[in-house]
Amino acid sequence: MLKCVSRAVQLAARVSSSVPSAPAVRPAFCRSIWSLSSSGAASASRPRLLTATRALPSLSSGSWSLHTEGDKAFAEFLTDEIKEEKKIQKNKSLPKISGGWELELNGTEAKLTRSLSGEKVTITFNVNNSIPPQLEEDPEHTQKSPEDEPEIVSTPNFVVEVTKGAKTSLVFDCHFPEDEQISHGEAEEESDIFTIREVSFQPEGDAEWKETSYTLNTDSLDWTLYDHLMDFLADRGVDNTFADELMALSTALEHQEYIKFLEDLSTFVKCK
Amino acid sequence: MGVVLRNLQSVVPLRRARLRRDVEVLRHIFGVQRFDLGIICVDNRRIQHINNLYRKNNQPTDVLSFPFYEDLRPGKIPCALQRDEYNLGDIFLGVEYVKHRCKETSQDLHEALTVVTAHGICHLLGYRHETEEEWIEMQQKESYILSEFNRLTGSHLEPLTKRCT
Repeated sequence: MLKCVSRAVQLAARVSSSVPSAPAVRPAFCRSIWSLSSSGAASASRPRLLTATRALPSLSSGSWSLHTEGDKAFAEFLTDEIKEEKKIQKNKSLPKISGGWELELNGTEAKLTRSLSGEKVTITFNVNNSIPPQLEEDPEHTQKSPEDEPEIVSTPNFVVEVTKGAKTSLVFDCHFPEDEQISHGEAEEESDIFTIREVSFQPEGDAEWKETSYTLNTDSLDWTLYDHLMDFLADRGVDNTFADELMALSTALEHQEYIKFLEDLSTFVKCK
Repeated sequence: MGVVLRNLQSVVPLRRARLRRDVEVLRHIFGVQRFDLGIICVDNRRIQHINNLYRKNNQPTDVLSFPFYEDLRPGKIPCALQRDEYNLGDIFLGVEYVKHRCKETSQDLHEALTVVTAHGICHLLGYRHETEEEWIEMQQKESYILSEFNRLTGSHLEPLTKRCT
């Protein structure tokens, strides 16, 4: 539930500062209906327009869809929103990760792969629900200039799989700390840039987590063992530099997917 | 608890297990094994910020110590009555600054960090170096600690020779 709320917060936060003028509000009982003209044989069967309390579907080349005044306003809003988001989009292309990682994308899921000395390392993350809620520090200061708006950074959980040729992989479930903002501002955060939450042996390539494999939880783990695990990852290129670059990649990917979603939503609403 | 180690920087590759191992040896030599200690590794930007914030010195440095017990007599082990008083404080290691110095002196980074940490623990235990007398006292303590460290580990560490400001 919390993730749904936080996602909703993020969607709200993405509203651009230059809000387009609101369309005229019409009473619910007086909706105008878009009538898509049709020619030929279909024109004889054009439905009568009614000033009824409910909207009637319009007919166009065999497609039926609802077009309300709200949809029109929604579509106009989306057009402006997409324009604004593209304006603030930092990179049109995704930033690279140093260290020879190959990137595969499948919608919101990204996979980075690298092979070194017979070992294969795969990092997988999903940008969905990857933006932590940006809490208002001072509720009195609601008017902020665009420069003061907190930067939206995607900090996805990521899974590291290390395979040494056998059919079993050593899998690390890694997280970015949530209790502090990973920003570059004045905040004196004192958490590691990323943490290992769980470690487990899993069959290689299986999408399903094998529940019967022992899973090491790091909450109450011996700290020396934890440091060895972190050093193990660092030796395979998963260190703080990697984590910083992964955040940049995830942020750009999330923004890209968000814009694509808005465009798809606009198309759907307009039903073109 | 023990030693809380955090690496907040991505400028210098660090061996966490090695640093922890050396700090644990130092704690044992100082006689403060029961006390918690925070070691936070930061880059120049952050240590400069902290240096400026707390010491009005707007430049990076190698180490900044924040003692839990203030005004300790130098070398006195704190007398803790409750569990949450078994805390020495935090040491911020300016690893980027130390790395740069190691390049000039051809010293191993992790050995240098151990020396700097010993210096930091001295500060947490009340040692200062604002007067000549204080500096001599602190340097003697550091020399003893590091000679014990060398004896136990086979290392060849030496105290920071430069007088810290």
